[in-house]
Amino acid sequence: MANLLATLVSSAGTLEAYGRVLETAQNNVANASTPGYAKQRLELYALPFDPQGGVTGGVRAGKLVTARNEFAEQAVRQQTSGMGYQQQLVDSLTVIQSNFDISGNQGIPQALNNLLQSFSAWGATPDNQAARQTVVQRATDLARSFQQSSVTLSARASDTEQQIGQTVDQVNQLVSEIQGYNHIAMQGNKSDSGLNARMHAALDELATLADVNATFQSDGTVSLMLNGETPLLLEDKQFKISSSLYQPQEPTPINANGPANVRIQGSDGSDITSKTTGAQLGALLHLRNQILPSFIGDAYQPGDLNTMAKQLADRVNQLLTSGNITDGPPAQAGVPLFTYNASDATATAASLSVDPSVTPDQLATISPGPPSVSNGVPLALSALASPVDDADKVNGLSFSQFYGRLAGRVGTALNDATNNQDVQQSLLSQAKELRQQYQGVSLDEEATILMQFQRAYQATSKFLSVLDQLTENAINILR
Amino acid sequence: MGTAALVEQLMSARQQLDFACELLAKPSPEALDSCSSVLEAAGHQLAEWQPTFSQQAGDAAALEEAWKLRRSFVRTARLLQGAGDFHRNWLRLRGAMTGGYTETGESAPLIHGSRISVHG
Repeated sequence: MANLLATLVSSAGTLEAYGRVLETAQNNVANASTPGYAKQRLELYALPFDPQGGVTGGVRAGKLVTARNEFAEQAVRQQTSGMGYQQQLVDSLTVIQSNFDISGNQGIPQALNNLLQSFSAWGATPDNQAARQTVVQRATDLARSFQQSSVTLSARASDTEQQIGQTVDQVNQLVSEIQGYNHIAMQGNKSDSGLNARMHAALDELATLADVNATFQSDGTVSLMLNGETPLLLEDKQFKISSSLYQPQEPTPINANGPANVRIQGSDGSDITSKTTGAQLGALLHLRNQILPSFIGDAYQPGDLNTMAKQLADRVNQLLTSGNITDGPPAQAGVPLFTYNASDATATAASLSVDPSVTPDQLATISPGPPSVSNGVPLALSALASPVDDADKVNGLSFSQFYGRLAGRVGTALNDATNNQDVQQSLLSQAKELRQQYQGVSLDEEATILMQFQRAYQATSKFLSVLDQLTENAINILR
Repeated sequence: MGTAALVEQLMSARQQLDFACELLAKPSPEALDSCSSVLEAAGHQLAEWQPTFSQQAGDAAALEEAWKLRRSFVRTARLLQGAGDFHRNWLRLRGAMTGGYTETGESAPLIHGSRISVHG
């Protein structure tokens, strides 16, 4: 009797398995033109056969192939996130780079060059009123260039902030859409391949925006975790993320009024910014919280643009106030040329200007010495072009070199991002190819492929370390 | 050796790496076998030419080509790693699904057994 029941159970299982094969075939026909739909193939497994022990054999539909398909989908999504990251970085850095001219024909480098030349011309004709007037005008132009650069970069920071907000909204919208699909699946439609295809299309779109791990459950729903640990969706419950500006309190900020950073929070209010590193959202955060503050500052750094503006203004003012306008007696001391908001280290470039009360004849020319030099001050100012004295340098570099390095940093970052984007594109194509390669491959065939792959992989890997060394050597020798 | 000849050599090695990348874009075992031969050939060539590189030290054109070669290498390495990670991770997952976990919490090793695969 027991064997009879076992046989009946076995037959029922077999019929169910074949039923699912037919269901799969029907789904393939019905969804042939559905976007994102991948052809399904149901694997059947032979069960052990031992009638004496009540083990009656038969076939069952397996989960391994489904798991493999999902694994391949996740691999594609992972590379899609990588692509989203690099693409966003390239787009944003291209815009930022346009604010840094290193040709010397416009912006800060041109204005700086003009000011240094005007110092030199003034040194040659120290009593020439026009030369003094030119110095004041060039100083005004340079201050304006610093202001413009600062304003433009701050505007980029605001744009990026908005983009982050929009990206967060898009993430929440897509998760909400998938939540709806989960709801449908929970109503007993887990085998609906059309539904599955719509889920995957939404997941692909989501992968470009954020680094999300998707895990399909046995009831056909999908769980979503941001960066592998912050829940976005569990069954039909969504956990929304949000973005906001914030000024960190720990450690105590050096610049209390510096530009705020952008923070991403989970639905429970926890700060997940540092974990949000992938896809478009990760790139935008990197740009907004790290790259841009390195130029315009934040709570903990003044930013290189402000450092340069402050150092230049202070040094020029120091040289001018150390000199005399007339020998006297009594000797009349020079006045400072530049002013800026000294209460906020992150506002120097934006607030840099020439004191409007300063007239050309108030510029000190005489270096009191001893010995007194009639054009000592303009000569000392001219030396800023090719500094020898550490006081004439900023972080050990001339002002032109410092700006060149600052601008070059954007160029290097853009160059790296562009190269990485190319590599990422190849990795994405490769992941799609691997997904395609395994579609419709039986588990037996797969086992053979995996063994062959391991052997070939080991053989190929051996040459990589050699080539790594050789290509490095080529650069080092030719450098 | 002149700059032009050196640049040509570096370019030739780079083209081989680019070809390896093409193979790795569709990383079947057969493609990997072919890739292995290509990388070996590129390695041999570079090792053979390397002693002459110092004659062109400081040459901007040669250095630029060396950087291009390096970038092609990085792409090759990343693609090989990408394919390796895919298979390694799937093996680990499949091992866990079929054999559970070992005492140390690792995925159970996947035992392939002896199989014969017949292709039509």
